[in-house]
Amino acid sequence: MPAKRSGTRGFLERSTSSFVDAMEHAFYAEQTARADGLLQRVDPRVKLVGILALVAAAAASRSFAVIAGLLAIAIALAALSHVSFRVLVNRVWVAVLLFTGVIALPAPFVTPGLVIWHLPLLGWDVTEQGLASAGYLVLRVETAATLCVLLVLTTPWNHVLKALRVLRVPAVLVTILGMTYRYLFLVLQSAHDMFESRRSRMIGELTGRERRRVAAASAGVLMSKTFDLSNEVYLAMESRGYRGDISVLDEFQIRNFDWVMLGAFALVSIAAFWLGR
Amino acid sequence: MHIPDGYLSPSTCAALYGAAAPFWYVALRKTRKLLLTRLVPLISVFAAFSFVIMMFNIPIPGGTTAHPLGAGIASIVLGPWASILTLSTALFIQAFFFGDGGITALGANCFNMAIVGSLVAWLVYRVVAGRSAITSSRRVVAAALGGYLAINGAALCAAIELGIQPHFFKSASGAPLYAPYPLNIAVPAIMIGHLTFAGLAELVVTGGIVAYLQRANPSLLRLTAPGVPLPQEETQQATMTGWRVARPLWTAVGLLMVLAPLGLLAAGKAWGEWSVHDFADPAARQQMAAASRNVAPPAAAPSGLERLSDIWTAPFPDYLPPFMRSAAFGYILSAIFGVGTIILLTLLASWIALKVRPGLDHAPASTKES
Amino acid sequence: MSTTNTNSGTPVPVFEVLDATYRYRDVTALDHLNLTVQAGRRLALLGANGSGKSTLLRILDGLCFPDEGTVRFCGKLLTEESIQNDGFGVDFRRRVGLVFQNPDAQLFSPTVFDEVAFGPLQLRWPPDQVRRKIAETLEMMEITHLKDRSPHHLSMGEKKRVALASVLVLDPEILLLDEPTAALDPRSASHMINFLVRAKGGDRTVVTTTHDLDIIEDIADDCLVFHEGRVEATGTPAQILGDAPLLKTSGLLHSHLHVHKSGEIHTHSHLHRHEH
Repeated sequence: MPAKRSGTRGFLERSTSSFVDAMEHAFYAEQTARADGLLQRVDPRVKLVGILALVAAAAASRSFAVIAGLLAIAIALAALSHVSFRVLVNRVWVAVLLFTGVIALPAPFVTPGLVIWHLPLLGWDVTEQGLASAGYLVLRVETAATLCVLLVLTTPWNHVLKALRVLRVPAVLVTILGMTYRYLFLVLQSAHDMFESRRSRMIGELTGRERRRVAAASAGVLMSKTFDLSNEVYLAMESRGYRGDISVLDEFQIRNFDWVMLGAFALVSIAAFWLGR
Repeated sequence: MHIPDGYLSPSTCAALYGAAAPFWYVALRKTRKLLLTRLVPLISVFAAFSFVIMMFNIPIPGGTTAHPLGAGIASIVLGPWASILTLSTALFIQAFFFGDGGITALGANCFNMAIVGSLVAWLVYRVVAGRSAITSSRRVVAAALGGYLAINGAALCAAIELGIQPHFFKSASGAPLYAPYPLNIAVPAIMIGHLTFAGLAELVVTGGIVAYLQRANPSLLRLTAPGVPLPQEETQQATMTGWRVARPLWTAVGLLMVLAPLGLLAAGKAWGEWSVHDFADPAARQQMAAASRNVAPPAAAPSGLERLSDIWTAPFPDYLPPFMRSAAFGYILSAIFGVGTIILLTLLASWIALKVRPGLDHAPASTKES
Repeated sequence: MSTTNTNSGTPVPVFEVLDATYRYRDVTALDHLNLTVQAGRRLALLGANGSGKSTLLRILDGLCFPDEGTVRFCGKLLTEESIQNDGFGVDFRRRVGLVFQNPDAQLFSPTVFDEVAFGPLQLRWPPDQVRRKIAETLEMMEITHLKDRSPHHLSMGEKKRVALASVLVLDPEILLLDEPTAALDPRSASHMINFLVRAKGGDRTVVTTTHDLDIIEDIADDCLVFHEGRVEATGTPAQILGDAPLLKTSGLLHSHLHVHKSGEIHTHSHLHRHEH
């Protein structure tokens, strides 16, 4: 990569803005998950299984039309679930295009096959197979990413966890996931505060070596704090009777509406699998 | 290096879930035995830490920054098995909650980064560190090397998984259905970025944290150094020299950085992996010209190209779709003109969307610029 | 061994710490400490930060064990082995509850409801009883509206209340509180005191560590002043609060420079006591 002369503040600022982005993402997700939309009303188990089936169908399909159809369904579900179109565009589609779109770009020129066009001036060959492969990649990635973001934006995280539990994921793993998410924000906040205070005390430029030292030492401090925290959490769990086996309350009820949605998910994904063979 | 959904065929994904499963099983059994009731809080809180560490921007020589993976340090502090669980947990949350890495590709990502990464780092660290003292500078070197090789091992696995896709999965007309580039393009394209930037970030973080812990909290390094006594006094002095002794390593890696792309050039550079410097480098220009049917490339990198690569490393995409920070940087540069068009088109699209549906505009995305 | 003084008519103390020493890294947190806690009493452990009082609470809660000396709970020796024993361990955890100073460490579940449910579920209460007891506790602590929130989004005062609820839900006979008002603004702190006074209910034994002299008359019958891992003094809250030199040497009372309107600078002690 081009050597962008990022100053001392540069790397601190960039890290800090990454932390803020992640917190904002979580905040927005928690908000939409509480909205009163179609997907928010579906039982999380049904939603998890249903959306995963659609993602799998999109991944397996050999037909553009089927993948595009699944994308259309995803967009319709988003609209019915109060997920704003703008968020889909900004957070999913642009992000995917910037990465996958760019990766796919050389494909039409390097994939061997039937030449359908010569690029003027440069004289590169564009192949039909190359274009198709770029199309497959971008469309598939967009569709899967849209479906996945729907799951997150319409389901509170603790419901995802409970759904996993009901789907027979071992309790110890579900507890780990729940606790990781819980402490993610504490560690994020802690890293954020540490970088902010470092930034405010930073006068003048550091040499590259000093900067690396600051970065590594920050990571080290954070890690030591992490250990102390995990130790305290352990004591707090033990104090309330934890002896290594997790027991949880499972309290979801499947209603008629959920059966209907489960049927719909099943129908669409089976159709997509069959049509996209 | 987080592979998104759609790059790997379902059968590849299934195979890699299958390959990861026995490691997960063994890891869970081993850590349960070792950590007993401490398992849950330790893995959870450390997974949160791993997640955050992946968002750090690590300054690397040359003035730029890159994100580390953290597999090396997790493996050195927790041991390889607990590290596998920790990183898998972090990757799961990234995939499900932050859309970073695919859900179908989660098995692949866990296999590459959590499993291969942890095992390589641990192996290298144990072999290189030997029975040296906890505060020995040899451990800093061992850790740095372990981290560097771990991320590159993981990247190589990812590159191979991506590279075999067009060989096996094609439509009736022969168009690749998933990742379109064959091994001879995918492997060098991905490895260049990792042998240099991402690898260096990993090296800095892993070596740096170990050097820090030697001074501040050496007990954390004891788990993967069985039988080595914990010294009391000489800690302070050891870390002072830790960084200095690591210098030869820096030099070696620097050389490696220079040589790796050259080696790949010698082997015939795959189309589209030029970096900005290549435009100024006569040898590389010749290569490019040859690859581009003898149309000479411009003498300087197009200014738009430079600006775009800035966008690439600058705040905006840093975390949002972070998988783009590591893999296949070369393609970005080769594809510059198209990208400009795409950006314009998407800006136009979101502008139109905004015009059409102004009522739904409550996304926090707009607050980000402030 | 398990019965020391049951025959004499004096009740068996809830906790009996004999000659306990505890070292953490290079620090001696407890230095040949002796302590007796009688059932139904409210005891305040006073001491500056780092005086070893948090360590003592953890020892009383069976989370760590002294390097030397013994701890007895209702006459039974409290050791790493005895707490591993299913019968005694489960009984002990049900009867003794500790509220940690740092609520972020104590609140590890995805939601407030799950947090309060954790203890009862670990003790294998039947689901109906768990739900009923949670509802009661949330109501009592006035946090029902926070039920589905993530602990991460709560204010410090709310976090501390949830932490207290997560322990009170088990109806412990002995409640150990580590700095219940630390890091709270005055209003949240007095709110917390109200809960603590109410939570006393019946003849619960309460041991509270604090360096906040304002609250001890409300929450304690007996005080114990702690300094560098040793007991410096014992007495009623009134006796302790009246002994300025003692409070000063144990770091609870501070004096600092003051500028008065006349421009004169001098030093005097401060005993912060707010009137309610």
